[in-house]
Amino acid sequence: MFHVAKATFIRNTRVMIRAYPWSFVIGHIFSGVYTVLFAFFAYHYVFAGQLDENFAHLTGSSDYLSYAILGGAFYAFAVSTLMNVSRSLITELREGTLEAVLLTPSLRRGYFLGNVAQQLMRTLFEFSVIVLVGAVFGLTLSHTNVWSAVLVWILSTGAFFCQALVLGSLMLWFRDTYITQNTLFAVMAFVSGVTFPIPYLPEWVQPLGLIMPLAPALDAFRQCVIQGAPLHAVSPQLFHMAALSLVYLVIGVWGIRRMEKRVMESIFG
Amino acid sequence: MLIAENVRKVYQVKEKKGWLRQQWTEVEAVADLSFRMVPGKIIGLLGINGAGKTTTIKMCSTLLTPTSGTITVDGYDAVKDDRFVKAKVNMIAGGERMLYWRLTGRENLQYFGSLYGLQGQALRNRIDSLLLQVGLYEAANTPVERYSKGMKQRLQIARGLINDPRYLFLDEPTLGLDAPIARQLRKHVSELASQHGKAILLTSHYIHEVEELCDEVYIIDKGRLVAHDTPEHLTKSLHLDTALQVVIPSLSDSLDYDLRQLAQDYGGSREIAETDEQTWEVTLRGKTDMTTPLLSLLAAHQSPVLRLSTQQPSLEDVILHMADRRGA
Amino acid sequence: MKQLGSLLWAEIIKEHRHSFHSKMIYFSLLVWPVINFVTAYYSFAPFRMGGDSPLARFISYEQLPLYLLTGYLGYIFYWCLVQSSWQMSFERQAGTMEMIFISPVNRLAFLYGRSLSSLIEGVWLFFCFVLLALFFVDGIRLSGWWAPPLAFLILLVSAIVWGGFLCVLFLFSRDASFLYTVLDEPMLIFSGVRLPPMAFPVWAKVISFCFPLTYALQLIRELLMERASLQTMLPSMGLLAAVLLVLVTATVVLLRQAEKHMKKTGNMVMY
Repeated sequence: MFHVAKATFIRNTRVMIRAYPWSFVIGHIFSGVYTVLFAFFAYHYVFAGQLDENFAHLTGSSDYLSYAILGGAFYAFAVSTLMNVSRSLITELREGTLEAVLLTPSLRRGYFLGNVAQQLMRTLFEFSVIVLVGAVFGLTLSHTNVWSAVLVWILSTGAFFCQALVLGSLMLWFRDTYITQNTLFAVMAFVSGVTFPIPYLPEWVQPLGLIMPLAPALDAFRQCVIQGAPLHAVSPQLFHMAALSLVYLVIGVWGIRRMEKRVMESIFG
Repeated sequence: MLIAENVRKVYQVKEKKGWLRQQWTEVEAVADLSFRMVPGKIIGLLGINGAGKTTTIKMCSTLLTPTSGTITVDGYDAVKDDRFVKAKVNMIAGGERMLYWRLTGRENLQYFGSLYGLQGQALRNRIDSLLLQVGLYEAANTPVERYSKGMKQRLQIARGLINDPRYLFLDEPTLGLDAPIARQLRKHVSELASQHGKAILLTSHYIHEVEELCDEVYIIDKGRLVAHDTPEHLTKSLHLDTALQVVIPSLSDSLDYDLRQLAQDYGGSREIAETDEQTWEVTLRGKTDMTTPLLSLLAAHQSPVLRLSTQQPSLEDVILHMADRRGA
Repeated sequence: MKQLGSLLWAEIIKEHRHSFHSKMIYFSLLVWPVINFVTAYYSFAPFRMGGDSPLARFISYEQLPLYLLTGYLGYIFYWCLVQSSWQMSFERQAGTMEMIFISPVNRLAFLYGRSLSSLIEGVWLFFCFVLLALFFVDGIRLSGWWAPPLAFLILLVSAIVWGGFLCVLFLFSRDASFLYTVLDEPMLIFSGVRLPPMAFPVWAKVISFCFPLTYALQLIRELLMERASLQTMLPSMGLLAAVLLVLVTATVVLLRQAEKHMKKTGNMVMY
């Protein structure tokens, strides 16, 4: 399995070096930076730094800028991971290499592991750029519990990876990337507490946030960065994330396996 | 040995009917097909009407699951033990798919080799020998997108051989290739069977290719097997006529009479046509070869022979004949 | 002219067949904008609202939903064209470009015609949503019965000019999706879709006023929300007209350059 993962990692890195997906990378960075800018403009120029009384109560801090900037950066990170992993198989299908991969006795686990490891480099880069820009516009990092934050970040990658498997099967099912991914991303931005705390939403919408790994991941990450919370303080969020990951993993593995079969049938049918 | 027994494949095809309605219809691509692949032999799969060749190959290479029937490869079931089977088989398709265009030829082989569990020096050696074998050693470090069609096709062959498969499926391997490259490829395929002992299944639109390479031919029509034999037997068994053509400078009445008599004696037919160069073209058709009696007849009439040719029936004639008969 | 008409008609029909039947437009032009609009509305939740909120310096609290609705309506007009010209760059290989240059039609008319057809195809869904939503939203103060049609006209004309300009840009650039990312989201931030540009610092205002959408939105809000008279709007209208003129000129120049370039090198890509 690790053998296949390593080969896939090397292959993707080679492809990336030769044809760097600049438009995706820049797109992710830009959308993160725009969230930063929006937060900055709204906070300083439009609302003159005045917040709703409930905000500090709901988030445990009155640092709106850090809250919103981390939201933007983490959202961009989630979108990037989801896209890079979920699009891998359908890209093989479009470029005509899927059959060649399916012909081999290699394990799909290894293939995806290589994919996710390779894309870590890209998302880490994107994330760092957005956080750096954020630091210029008012993100406070002085209280950060660095190790907890890093660990939460890594665990989140795992959770997004599991979700990406489900997204990838949906893409193969619909034979589409554009609509499927963007619809999910729009909903994610709405219900996961990216730019505002979830309790502000109408009650009937709030449960939607529960099924997005982004919501607990972001919550935990913010606590570690803004308030310097230790890992055990965010364990409820981590358990939530782990449970979601498990569910998505089971559905995703089953889905991908089914879709591979279905896709082969429909190519020749 | 690869044994396919009563293999059947039915596709569910979705048909859009207007806005939201859709209908599922069943299309039978392969029906009750049985065949075997033996090491060192090449078998050909020829289709009359569209039918099931690619589907058959994909089922044998575990990409598709048969609706019913079984395929076993050296005792392993292609559905249940697919990972064992995958290690033993490989497929090469015509066209430019199944390669990563942004990677070099060598990198492609490295990747696919790894997916088959090869690594280290063994993989490197294998890649070098394959690159030499298909004549891409010099171009090994060039990205595939800069390869010509023929080079891509040869790299595909190298990819198809990377796991040293015992069973190799070739799906229209010479599709769109220039004639000299296609000829080279055919030579290569025939060596793979004769010298390396591989069992090969070949489908092709070019019937002469199948005729030249294959030890046995399966002819399928709408997914159903209609004939199975060696190419020679197939052409003979249908008793198609051999045409014998001779061009002579003049035609006397007596020669004309004797020619007709000859054709009648052998149960054949005779055609005579005057050519533009004021010569006569005589065509005799029949099941048996009439060359010797014709030549002695012409000698008896002291008629010079300007040109003589025979046309044996080809596999193509067989296919066309079958297609006509089956109302294609 | 007749030829142009038939070419345009063919283009509209093709676009219609190509994308109408697919579910794509329902998502990209209705579902996403609606979700984004709602998200944008809730993004204001962390801030202090009410009559004494600092927001009131720019927008009255009751008019915030209306402000965002008009903002997203304008944005969707423009975004629809970004998307359609982006897709056109995929068609480049299919020879759309040659078609323009081979046919004797006026190139500019073709570009604008294409924008118009994809616009009409694209925005009616969200447009209906906005009309519906307007019934439930407070704060409408029309300048007169003519204000909605005039607002619509302003949006339409400015969007088409913008679309024509984008078509040219997309057609001649190698990595069109890059332009897409650069042009799409800045509009959302700087053009006053969600935040009033008047609140911005000078450097951000400069960026804001590069986008015709900024002017168009300002006019539309004056017409629909501020009961402004035609006279008071004259300066903004003049500005919008000037910006559009610059865009048209740029489109024409680029198109000429591109044609010259192509005749010389046989290659459409300029940058």
